[in-house]
Amino acid sequence: MDTLTNWQERLISKTTRPTLVTTYKYWIWLGFLVVIVLNAMYQYSRQWTDGLYVTDMRDRISWGLYITAFVFFIGISHAGTLISAILRASKASWRAPVTRIAEFITAVALLVGASFVLIDMGRPERILNVYLHGRWQSPIMWDVMAITTYLTASVIYLYAPMIPDLAMYRDRLTGKVGRVRGFIYQTLSLDWNGTPKQLRLLGKAITIMMLIIIPIAVSVHTVVSWIFSMTLRVGWNTSIFGVLFVAGAIFSGVATLILVMAILRKIYHWEEYLTTKHFLYLGYLLAAFGAFMVYVNINEYLTEGFKLEESGEFAFRQLFVEDFALMFWFYIIGGLIVPVILMLVPKTRTIGGVVAAAILVDLAMFFERYFIVVTGLRVPLMPYEPASYAPTLVEWSIFAGGMAVFCLLITVAIKIFPMFAVWEMTEEYEAAHRDVFASESTEPILADDKTSATAGSPDPSSRTEGGSP
Amino acid sequence: MITRRLKRVRNFALAAAMVTIALITSAPALAAGIEIAVGAPEQVSVGQQVEVKAVLSDSGSPVEGAEIALTYQASLAGEFGRVEIATATTDEAGIAILAYQQRADDNGEMQVVYLGPDTDPVEPYVFTIAVGGEPVQLYQLSTGVRIPFINGTLVILIISGVWVLIAMAAIYLVRVGMAGRSQTAVASEDGSMWISVILAAAVVITAVGMVIVFVRAPVANSHVIDPEGYDRTIVNYLDVTYPYDGFGLDDESLAQTGDPIVDGEVLYFQFACAACHGLGGKGAIVAPELVGELGSLGSFTTDVREGPKGMPQYDDATISDENVEKIYTYLDSGG
Repeated sequence: MDTLTNWQERLISKTTRPTLVTTYKYWIWLGFLVVIVLNAMYQYSRQWTDGLYVTDMRDRISWGLYITAFVFFIGISHAGTLISAILRASKASWRAPVTRIAEFITAVALLVGASFVLIDMGRPERILNVYLHGRWQSPIMWDVMAITTYLTASVIYLYAPMIPDLAMYRDRLTGKVGRVRGFIYQTLSLDWNGTPKQLRLLGKAITIMMLIIIPIAVSVHTVVSWIFSMTLRVGWNTSIFGVLFVAGAIFSGVATLILVMAILRKIYHWEEYLTTKHFLYLGYLLAAFGAFMVYVNINEYLTEGFKLEESGEFAFRQLFVEDFALMFWFYIIGGLIVPVILMLVPKTRTIGGVVAAAILVDLAMFFERYFIVVTGLRVPLMPYEPASYAPTLVEWSIFAGGMAVFCLLITVAIKIFPMFAVWEMTEEYEAAHRDVFASESTEPILADDKTSATAGSPDPSSRTEGGSP
Repeated sequence: MITRRLKRVRNFALAAAMVTIALITSAPALAAGIEIAVGAPEQVSVGQQVEVKAVLSDSGSPVEGAEIALTYQASLAGEFGRVEIATATTDEAGIAILAYQQRADDNGEMQVVYLGPDTDPVEPYVFTIAVGGEPVQLYQLSTGVRIPFINGTLVILIISGVWVLIAMAAIYLVRVGMAGRSQTAVASEDGSMWISVILAAAVVITAVGMVIVFVRAPVANSHVIDPEGYDRTIVNYLDVTYPYDGFGLDDESLAQTGDPIVDGEVLYFQFACAACHGLGGKGAIVAPELVGELGSLGSFTTDVREGPKGMPQYDDATISDENVEKIYTYLDSGG
């Protein structure tokens, strides 16, 4: 059994490793992302010049891939809230290593998601009208309100618990990293030195945010669903959309968290901290939400289909047996049922199984967003032929650009910010092994950086375990 | 004897003549039968409730139970005609009140017409009412359920409450920085409290901004807050003319660049082909796709001139042959 100090030092060296060591693979990956983003920018410049005509959105189907991406990314942003806030509020001890990654996903996905609304606008400068002439009777206005609130709240919720870790970075990495990052740590660590007063104040800030961010997050995706369900369109005109969207958001958020965790674990050898237990617990969450989504879908389509009003027939036909059948059944079977089965069968209850389930879930949830947006608009309101919609190269490029920006922001963040909540993980570790450490003098962790500095803690980089990324 | 007989004949003739004269002089009265007299205000304004009083008499005696109607001149989509805006039945004094709400900004020639029960024609009473005054909005939603305390104020209070909590968290972070600063003896070089101050300020500004947007929002839903004094849309003003400026494409030089494809695109919009055939001739709800379905220039010109399947016909005074060719070239190039 390691001593607490050894354990903590190893954790710190593992956490700071991405900040200190950068291999050529990182630059290749970064370059790949930048190329995709540049292509998206070029395609957007075409849209800027020629208008939304370069997309396949027309008078009848006026929302497409962009709004799909908006709903999808806002959904993903629910990862941080669930894992971080709900698990923190319920004091689930296993959450500590995954919270920071989840919170980053939240902030980044929100930024990307919100920009897709702007991209969907033929005249983006008119977004100002929302603020100049906004009317709160409009669901679009509620959306702007909810997302602004959520973004502000999740940035604070990401930042507040990171302050002690940033102070640790400031104390240990100044001089080892460039001046820019040095300045970032110096500035963002808010003169943190872990005094009881600071701990108390920070605890208050985190508690407020933890409690308030849960209802905010629920409201965000409910309001996103209301953009659809506040209309009288066949397929959208349903009261279950709020539930479906929030559950779906958490569902896809957990899946994305699993994927990001799996990738980072592989690259930076974080097996000791992101253990099978974490993946399995998240997998169980995934399965639970998958089962719930099956229930919500049955509830929605059975009640609608049992009555089947005349106008609903077209909507049902295109979804279940015609144009969108492949997508729909992949969503139901591949995205909801198979992941549940993967978690039920002991043989697939592994990290590989969880990751496979997460990939299926993310794909399925993207398809779900897509067919909800497009099928709703495709149902003719008057006796005209149903329109068709297929995203153009411009739309796909910009969508890929959004994905790339999402990855890019996380990729860059890894090089700057601590991806583990070191102080929380240390607290958890200490609590779990309290009797073992009882004899050891319990030095307050991060309480006084002067002592750790004067104690001459060994250079973290010299302690890095084998295996370079 | 003869004189007596003559006297009788003379008397009869006189009597007959008198009756005839009486009949002739009273003939117009008998033929007219019912007469309509109307009392109406000279000037009204849009939105005003107007009462027009009609009196029906027949040879001086009131006509009871007659149905009458008030009509005015109107036009809709190029059709002109008379529109009945009120009907009424006369009482025992021969009086009926025709009430209506003034909606048009010009009534033209108004008439009170007799509808029945007699089938003899009755001369309608013709008059005019001038319309003036300030524009008003006529139609406002009056439905909805008003629930006490569930209103816009509550919404704004909840939002404010959420933002107050977020701001509190941000201010705690400022205090974290302050606590750190007082702890450090040589604060000057470590000082980074400002970043939390900026964060808190940004939160407060966003919060105030958000709430201002909501407070400023014009109220339009009467079941949430009274719409008194609020105009839903200005377009609904009935007595104001809003001239249509068009697409800004009516400048003829736009279609004379020398490149027939560019010219054709301008003309495609100028003559509103795009309104039915969609952008770039890709087709829309009303009319089919053109790109790839064009055929020869000859058949295209024939279609433009003759307008198949309900399409408007455009003679060469409207779209010259030269311009038809330019549009054809544009569409032929792929739209």
